[in-house]
Amino acid sequence: MADLLARGRNDRHRGIKVRGPRVEYLAFRLGADTYAVPIGEVREILKLPPVTEVPRAPEEIVGVVSVRGLLVTVISLRARLRLQATESSRKGRILLAMGAQDEVIGLYVDEVLQVYRLAESEIEVAASVLGGRLGDYIVGIGRPDGALLTLLDLRPILGRSEPVARDAT
Amino acid sequence: MADMGDKAREEFFSEAHEIIEGLSRDLLQLDGSRGKGPVDPELVNNIFRAVHTLKGLAGLFGAARMSALSHELENVLDDLRLGKIELTQLALDLLFRGITIYGRILAVEKGTRADPLSDIDEFLRELAELSESQSDEAPVSGAFYELDPGLLAVLTEYEEHRLRTNIEQGQSLFRLRVRFELATIDAALSSLKTKAKPHGEIITYLPTGEGAEADSIELDILMASKASLDVLRSLLGGEQAQIEEVPRRSRAAKDPVLVPSRPGSHAPPDAMGFPSAHPPSAPPRPKAVAQRPGALPKGGSTHAVAEVSLRSVTQTVRVDIRKLDLLMNIVGELSIVRNAIGRLTESVRKSPELREIGMELYRLHRGFERQLADLQSGILEVRMVPLGQLFDKLARVVRQISREADKDVNLVITGAETEVDKLIVEELSDPLMHMIRNAIDHAIEARIERERVGKPAVGTIALNAFQKASHVVIEVEDDGKGIDETKLVSAAVKRGLLGQDEVTELVHREVLNLVFIPGLSTKSDVGELSGRGVGMDVVKTNIGKLGGIIDIYSERGIGTKFTVTLPITLAIISALIVQIEGRTFAVPLASVQEAIWLDPAALRRVEGQELMTLRGATLPLCRMNELFGLTSAVKAKLRPYAVVVSVGARRLGLVVDELIGQQDIVIKPLGPSLKKVKGFAGATELGDQRVALVLDAPALIEEAFLGGSDAAVGASYG
Repeated sequence: MADLLARGRNDRHRGIKVRGPRVEYLAFRLGADTYAVPIGEVREILKLPPVTEVPRAPEEIVGVVSVRGLLVTVISLRARLRLQATESSRKGRILLAMGAQDEVIGLYVDEVLQVYRLAESEIEVAASVLGGRLGDYIVGIGRPDGALLTLLDLRPILGRSEPVARDAT
Repeated sequence: MADMGDKAREEFFSEAHEIIEGLSRDLLQLDGSRGKGPVDPELVNNIFRAVHTLKGLAGLFGAARMSALSHELENVLDDLRLGKIELTQLALDLLFRGITIYGRILAVEKGTRADPLSDIDEFLRELAELSESQSDEAPVSGAFYELDPGLLAVLTEYEEHRLRTNIEQGQSLFRLRVRFELATIDAALSSLKTKAKPHGEIITYLPTGEGAEADSIELDILMASKASLDVLRSLLGGEQAQIEEVPRRSRAAKDPVLVPSRPGSHAPPDAMGFPSAHPPSAPPRPKAVAQRPGALPKGGSTHAVAEVSLRSVTQTVRVDIRKLDLLMNIVGELSIVRNAIGRLTESVRKSPELREIGMELYRLHRGFERQLADLQSGILEVRMVPLGQLFDKLARVVRQISREADKDVNLVITGAETEVDKLIVEELSDPLMHMIRNAIDHAIEARIERERVGKPAVGTIALNAFQKASHVVIEVEDDGKGIDETKLVSAAVKRGLLGQDEVTELVHREVLNLVFIPGLSTKSDVGELSGRGVGMDVVKTNIGKLGGIIDIYSERGIGTKFTVTLPITLAIISALIVQIEGRTFAVPLASVQEAIWLDPAALRRVEGQELMTLRGATLPLCRMNELFGLTSAVKAKLRPYAVVVSVGARRLGLVVDELIGQQDIVIKPLGPSLKKVKGFAGATELGDQRVALVLDAPALIEEAFLGGSDAAVGASYG
């Protein structure tokens, strides 16, 4: 229990930040809601290439695609966040990001919207009601120009732990 | 290794590996020659030089532990080659251990292994003790020769030692003055050494500085030999070579040093007592090398040789295997383009108004195809390395394990020159090592037991490699006690891996294959009983990963033979492209026996398992659409196909909807996030940009025969 409390506090710390430089967030749509991740986390945005489904893979795995010869596993971000499934549309895109073990992962989103510049003070702490795993995934809420962005932390989402400082051995 | 660039690091590792491999080879040869007459001094010297090079390399790259190890080894080897210590079993063991430790240090430096290397200091102490145990050099005995002090001054300690040793052994000394063309000196000198070797030893050679033309060089060679002057003359003499015997000096001269004495000689003697070819009054030659008072300083001679040999060194390049992978990938991409162009060409040729363009396109495509095939085979060839590298390592393992197990084992290697893709060689090393360890630990009997049954006291393990079509076959054969089938079967029944009723149905071959069943072979007590087969399931899995198969043949009391059949290369494989419910999959042709039309009349169902009879034999079937849970709007075909895949003796019919054709594909591994998904060896890109999954036939068979929970088929032996 004490552990949980401690973690909750840490999460909040991540959210409460004083004024600082503006960070660019890429906003995209999952179902009816808008989410965003720091644009530095996204290596590339792909139009939907032909996806090959992988039988017997977990449901959240959409399949594999080839990105200029590199095989990339595509995960449905919606399924990973346990959101309701919706029909995939022509506007669907794949965001390439780094997963665990240096694997490039494709995240399927329903539509890519735009880039927002948010000052850290504009970010509200994530509602603690979310709780559980989903709480770990969400950094906070941004409200630029009347929009409502749920800001995601891709590190836990992609099973990547805190970045390990790499030093030349 | 603080500031080392990645590239330099890679260079360092590959060079160090190469040297250590050579070192290991030479040590084995040394070990083998022990007790069979005098030790080849050149071999010891080669080993010394290799360690010396390693020391330099380690120093350059700041690998401190490797430096320290090399330093101590170098001391021991230096004492060995100077005859200060004897080549004992202990010395050899220490040297072999040194090689193992080099390997561990490299692994640690590379970061591929965590190893405290805590035993190194102890090992270094043992080495130091060995080299301290040296005896003092025996005083020189034997005759003295008419040798120039200038020459003696430039002899290295080692050369001096060899000179002494040869004199002690009563060899005569000969001077060879040989002229070499600068362009061919490397080859000519080594051929001369080879010719001279059976008859004696070349102690040193120095340039005379008397090369008549700018493009040739004259060397004075000092050689010790038991052969007579005439024999040597007929053997080595010729237009370019003069040979003379170095006259013995009277023993009365109590000069303790080898001093030349040519009283009354007017001309200043050449280094080896040759009368100068030119009158002393001749004006000095303009060439610098011609100025040669007595003996040329050492630096000069090495300089001349080094300059010549530099050229030949650059004939080979060392390449990172990943660069070749990259090239191979590009070729793979090109063959995808080729396939696409091929399809396009076909459709152009079909339209009547484009016939001519179609023909032209067709010709171009054919040319492109040929060139691409050449490029592909060219790159594949570069990736090939002889299995000998691996076999040398295994020879070391045999030596070590047989000593540990206190058994005499003779390793016979054939086909070491057989070439296999570098990656396969790497992956093969563990499985082969395991098989050999099994053979020594469990198959080869103790000496007394062998003598009792009338076998030679020394056991034999044969390692044979040869190429068979596009596969390489490696056999590991022993003349041990063979596998006790009865005990193997009863162990399998006891562990519930085999029903009592099934026992009677097993044939010889199937019984032996029980060795590869995980639950059975990992138990060491059964390994003991069966004579072979501890952890053989792991061996089989690893070989399966390489697309290879392993077979076993054993006869009680006679021995056991494992046959590993591998594809020569991993990079590009031929595959059968099939469709299941509208999705495309590839099946590596290496595991496909045949593809047949499924005859509904031949189908049976036994205990939920679908079977068909194929030419009298029972073939279990696996409905791929059910296994993969695939459905589609397309109505299932009435007469699907069965692709018969096999691994070892087991067969399985994969039921698919369509056969599309055969195609060369480049297999790429699936990402780590799909590691847990079984049944796929990877994926490949087909011409239309789509990715097709490659079925992992061995895994599917494994699954079918183990009757996994979500498998649509049960276990059976086919």
